[in-house]
Amino acid sequence: MMGLLEAIEASGISTWVRESRSLFAYPMVLTLHTFGLAIIVGSSAVVDLRLLGVGAHIPLKPLKALFPIMWIGFGVNAFSGLLLLARAATTVGISGVFWTKLALIALSMWVLVRIKHRVFDGESIDARPIPNDARLLAFASILLWAAAITAGRLMAYIGASRPEALIGLVIR
Amino acid sequence: MNLPHWHLLLNHVPTVGFGGGLALFFLALITREEALQRESLRIVVLVALISIPVYLTGVSAGRLIEGLPGVSDVRIRIHGDAALLAFVVMELTGAVAWLALWQARRFRRPLPSTVAAVVLLAVASFGLMARAAYIGGMIHHPELISAADSAPQETAWLTNASVKSLVLDTTSVWPTAETIHFIGLALSFGVVLVLNLRILGLMKSIAFSDLHRLLPWGLMGFGINLVSGMLFFIAIPEQYDTNVAFQWKMLLLTLMGVNLLYFTSAEDPWTAGSGVDAPISAKVFAASAILLWSGVVFFGRMLPYIGGSF
Repeated sequence: MMGLLEAIEASGISTWVRESRSLFAYPMVLTLHTFGLAIIVGSSAVVDLRLLGVGAHIPLKPLKALFPIMWIGFGVNAFSGLLLLARAATTVGISGVFWTKLALIALSMWVLVRIKHRVFDGESIDARPIPNDARLLAFASILLWAAAITAGRLMAYIGASRPEALIGLVIR
Repeated sequence: MNLPHWHLLLNHVPTVGFGGGLALFFLALITREEALQRESLRIVVLVALISIPVYLTGVSAGRLIEGLPGVSDVRIRIHGDAALLAFVVMELTGAVAWLALWQARRFRRPLPSTVAAVVLLAVASFGLMARAAYIGGMIHHPELISAADSAPQETAWLTNASVKSLVLDTTSVWPTAETIHFIGLALSFGVVLVLNLRILGLMKSIAFSDLHRLLPWGLMGFGINLVSGMLFFIAIPEQYDTNVAFQWKMLLLTLMGVNLLYFTSAEDPWTAGSGVDAPISAKVFAASAILLWSGVVFFGRMLPYIGGSF
């Protein structure tokens, strides 16, 4: 396992993300990761809030158009996330916080797919009442995304994948 | 023109500008002119927005002139603390005035309790801002003897120093505020994205008036990030104020606030009913909202790489 992580970390692309002074290397990958987060979490939060009763007049059917957008966000973050992992594979790859984050994302995505299936598939979406388990899923979705963001942020402090953040806490 | 110059220029907005807005607001209350009331509420929200760069540039101005001959360092500190208190109350006032504008769209007129809260908060803001301005005006006038120089400060619980030690003395505060900052980011972006995609033509069967109900959640994200962001700034202002990425972020953020104000109370987007194409003016604002918001995130993420902040 460690050998594989070392090989990844030594690869060309990984070295580029880690060592290039260009703004298009690590900074841009990190920015993309933030955009992806905002797209997927932001649009699922709107759908979740709607299912929980906020803006109950908003028809559900057109909101279905948000799901492909969420998947775009997911794609952006899978791509940028892989680069960020490769950059520091030997530390991130063995970080408990990182694997917790991945598990939370997997759960969030599963909930997302369940919500789509329970509420948005089939005909006459707006004619039928929102099932109770869909409301539960919406609530779980908000909590899971918040937890995933928390784990992601903590990686900068606990897994130390972003050493400048730690340095920042030391200099007063 | 440097940051202290900007401070000297902009610092008249929360006093003079706000005084004008407040006068119009009371005139509207007396004459029961609803259009005038909305206009005055917009001014209050705009002043609250401009107060953000006023506070931020003030910190830079203080750091730059500290120790110069004829400048009172004690008064700089007292002015800074007075300004912080005034700033907090001003932002609360702006948020409640925003709510009144939102209600004016949603229920045709703001709820009486909201209007009452605006009255109380606005008077408090005006008084606190005037006090901060008065002390600020004496920083470079040592010939003026003031009570402020000898006023006891130990009663003040909200000072720049107390916020700084709150953030820096406990290791968990910074990561927690960072996490909250990202959650606020996702919340406000979600609302901005859905609303503006609708205006641009996606999900056209949703009436704008229905999505308008999501706006308080967007403002909540904005508020969460203003509070958590200010914690970072007050803790270590010197790593932000001269950072060009930070300056861009703040400029775009202020414009973003104006954009939010447009979608809260303007007539044009409101005309986009279910299945109705939004007017071109609303589309221009919608496209600029997505660009502005992306710019805020971009420069925020670039803080460590363009200017060396973290």
